[in-house]
Amino acid sequence: MKFKDYYEILGVARTATNDEIKKAYRKLAHQYHPDVSKDLAGEEKFKEVGEAYSTLKDAEKRAAYDQLGRHPSGQEFRPPPEWASQHGNQEFSFEDIDLSDLFSSFSSGKRHAQGRNMPMPGQDYELSTQITLEDAYHGKTVDLSFTVPEYDNQGQLKRVPHTFKARIPKGVTNGQKMLLRGKGGKGFHGGRDGDLYLNISFIPHRLFRVMNYDLFIDLPLAPWEAALGATVKVPTFGGAVNLKVPAGTSSGQKLRITKRGMPKQNHEYGDLFAVVQISVPPNPTEQERALLKQLADTSTFNPREHFV
Amino acid sequence: MNIDHSEWMWLDEHHEVSLDELIELSGLSLEELHYLVKSGALIPNNPDEDTWHFNSHCVVSIRTLSRLKHDFELEPNAFALTLVFLERIRTLEFQLRGLGHTKIEGDVE
Repeated sequence: MKFKDYYEILGVARTATNDEIKKAYRKLAHQYHPDVSKDLAGEEKFKEVGEAYSTLKDAEKRAAYDQLGRHPSGQEFRPPPEWASQHGNQEFSFEDIDLSDLFSSFSSGKRHAQGRNMPMPGQDYELSTQITLEDAYHGKTVDLSFTVPEYDNQGQLKRVPHTFKARIPKGVTNGQKMLLRGKGGKGFHGGRDGDLYLNISFIPHRLFRVMNYDLFIDLPLAPWEAALGATVKVPTFGGAVNLKVPAGTSSGQKLRITKRGMPKQNHEYGDLFAVVQISVPPNPTEQERALLKQLADTSTFNPREHFV
Repeated sequence: MNIDHSEWMWLDEHHEVSLDELIELSGLSLEELHYLVKSGALIPNNPDEDTWHFNSHCVVSIRTLSRLKHDFELEPNAFALTLVFLERIRTLEFQLRGLGHTKIEGDVE
C-alpha cells in the first residue's frame, strides 16, 4: 500500500487545527471540485483533497492516520501489526487496497461495531464512453470495466474488477446520461448495491454534425448546380438519398431531408439538414475560365447590393 | 455479464422517477427534496397528486447538488439557488450545442 501525506495534500502543518484544515480544504475544493473547476486534471486532484479532508476532519480517523507514522508520499508501507485490530477490528491484506479504502472500511467497521449489521449502500460509480454516430444510430454493445473495493471470502478487503458488456440502445443523444441500478459497488450488511451511471458522448463524425436527433451535413455544390438546380446524392445512415436542390439556392441555406436523422426512443427519426456550400473549381480549364468570364461580363447580378 | 436494453434507466425529459427513487438515487433526504419543491427549484410533473413524479433528467442535477452539499457543506438555504443555477447551466449547454442550426425546407426525390 502506498503512503499518502494527507497534511501535505491539504498544505497544512501536522499540528493544524480543525479550522485550519477546513479552511485549507474549502480553498482547494473551490479550485479543483469537478462540478466547479474548469481544470481538466482537477477531478483527480479533488479526489485526493476530499480523501485527505474526510480523514483529517474526523478526530478518530486523524488519530488513526497519525499512528501510521510519517513516510514519503508514494512509498510502499504496511501499518503496524496492532493497528488494524486497534482500529475497526478488521482483517486487511494491505496489498490490493489503497489508503482511502483502509479508512472507509475503518469507518464502516466502527459503524458496524456501534450499530450491529447497520445496512450501508454500495458506492455509486460514474463511467463515460464515446461511441460513433453509426453506433448510436444502430445501437452498440460496449465493454464497461471498473474496480470496486469488496470483501473476499476470508473477510479481506480487495479491489475487484467488474467487467460487463452493455448494450447501448438506439435513441441515445450526445451527452445522454443513463443509469444501471444495482451495478455499482456491493452494499454492506444488507444495504442496497450501488448504481452505475454512464455518460455517453459521440465521437465527431467526418461528415455529419449532430444536434439532439437532427443531423447536419455540409453539401458542396458547383455554382451552376446552385444556380440552375440539380439532383445530388447525399449519404445518410439509412442509405444514400437523391436530394433535389432548387434553382437559385445560395450558400448557407439548409435543405431538410425528413426522417433521415438519428433514431428516437419512440422509433421515429430526426431530420437531416444539408447545409449548402458553393464550391468553385480550384483549377479551372481554359474553357471553364472562358465560360465564367462570359458569365461575369453579361450578368447584372450583384450579391452585395444590400451593402449600399 | 451482459446488460440488456431493458435494464437501462434513461435520464432525460422523456422518462420519470418517483420521489422515493429520487431520494434513493440522490442521497438527499425527503425533507431536503420537499424544501426544493416548496421553493420552486424542483417541479414535480404531478404537483397536485400525493405521489410525486419528476422528469428523470433532474437526477443528474440533484446528484450534483448532493455532491456539492457534501463536499462544500452547503447550508439548506443554498440548495434551491444552487439547483436553479445547475438547471440553467444544463439548459445553456444544450442550447450551445444547437447554435447556428436554423431550418429551411427542402425536397427529397
